[in-house]
Amino acid sequence: MIDLNTQQKWDKAAANFDLMAGVGAERRWLPQKEKLFSNMQGKVLFLALGTGLDIPAFPPDQDITAIDISPEMIKHARARMDDYSGSITAEVMDVHDLSFEDGQFDQIYTSCTFCSVPDPVAGLSSLKRVLKPGGELFMFEHTGSRYFPLSLMMKLMSVITEKVGPSMDRQTVDNVLKAGFELVEVEHVFLDVVKIIKARRAPD
Amino acid sequence: MDNRLYFVLGDLLSNIVIGALIGVIAVLVVGTGWNMWLAMVLMMVVGMAISLPASLAFGIRFGAMEVMVPAMQTGMMSGMVVGMWQAMSPLSVSQGAIIGGITGLVILNIIWVANTALRGIRTLEGGRL
Repeated sequence: MIDLNTQQKWDKAAANFDLMAGVGAERRWLPQKEKLFSNMQGKVLFLALGTGLDIPAFPPDQDITAIDISPEMIKHARARMDDYSGSITAEVMDVHDLSFEDGQFDQIYTSCTFCSVPDPVAGLSSLKRVLKPGGELFMFEHTGSRYFPLSLMMKLMSVITEKVGPSMDRQTVDNVLKAGFELVEVEHVFLDVVKIIKARRAPD
Repeated sequence: MDNRLYFVLGDLLSNIVIGALIGVIAVLVVGTGWNMWLAMVLMMVVGMAISLPASLAFGIRFGAMEVMVPAMQTGMMSGMVVGMWQAMSPLSVSQGAIIGGITGLVILNIIWVANTALRGIRTLEGGRL
């Protein structure tokens, strides 16, 4: 079942999403994203596709299943999907209620996704279900900070930003652990706010 | 911090401009003789509130969190510093802009130092990173 409030929020944001995030943020993060996505192999799930801004950072010739809660976002992503050298299959789906079978994917990638998932631990648990035992989770996320005054400031920012888009105060590393993943590595890209998280589902 | 010149200059520009803007607003809002602590708290809140949309405008060209986080600290501190200063002794608009801009530069340097200390691969120790 799709969370309609979240879907409507991102449908509304789709038209102007590239203007806000398509130049500065993507150019700035491109080297780190290219490095992270270069790990792609096997059956890959990518969420959330958005307008496909991450597609240029994908390694060539992969077979990727992508989801997003917003059909408008996927509509805007179509041109980038068509330009990609491999294959991207995009579906409208809510991370809390994935329709994939258990243990279907070798790897799951997220990119600035869990700042916006309403129940991040439930969403991550859902990802764990569709990941094969021993499968890998790779996340490029911005989170809250542990350090004052950044922590306070980001809590205050979230009061405003959550109305129109993402939260600025998510404790995503803690949430990954709460969802039952094994943490492999965390790399801070900017302060302790932008980070790459590598985790895996424990082997059976 | 990013060592690409485009982003270094973008960070400098956004923090100096936002610091100066909040400095000017603090001079215009706060009256000399106001309670210093009231001026500080008021301009801290106003500085943060204004720096959020301002940082989004710069973020379009220069990045997301790397622009927003220092810019909001700059807005907060510039508002506090210039607000308190104006409460104690009158400042001109240009003085407010200069003090605010310098505050932005100082904050950005603190963020650069903090980033150098925090960035990189972290390990989990005792359940905390």
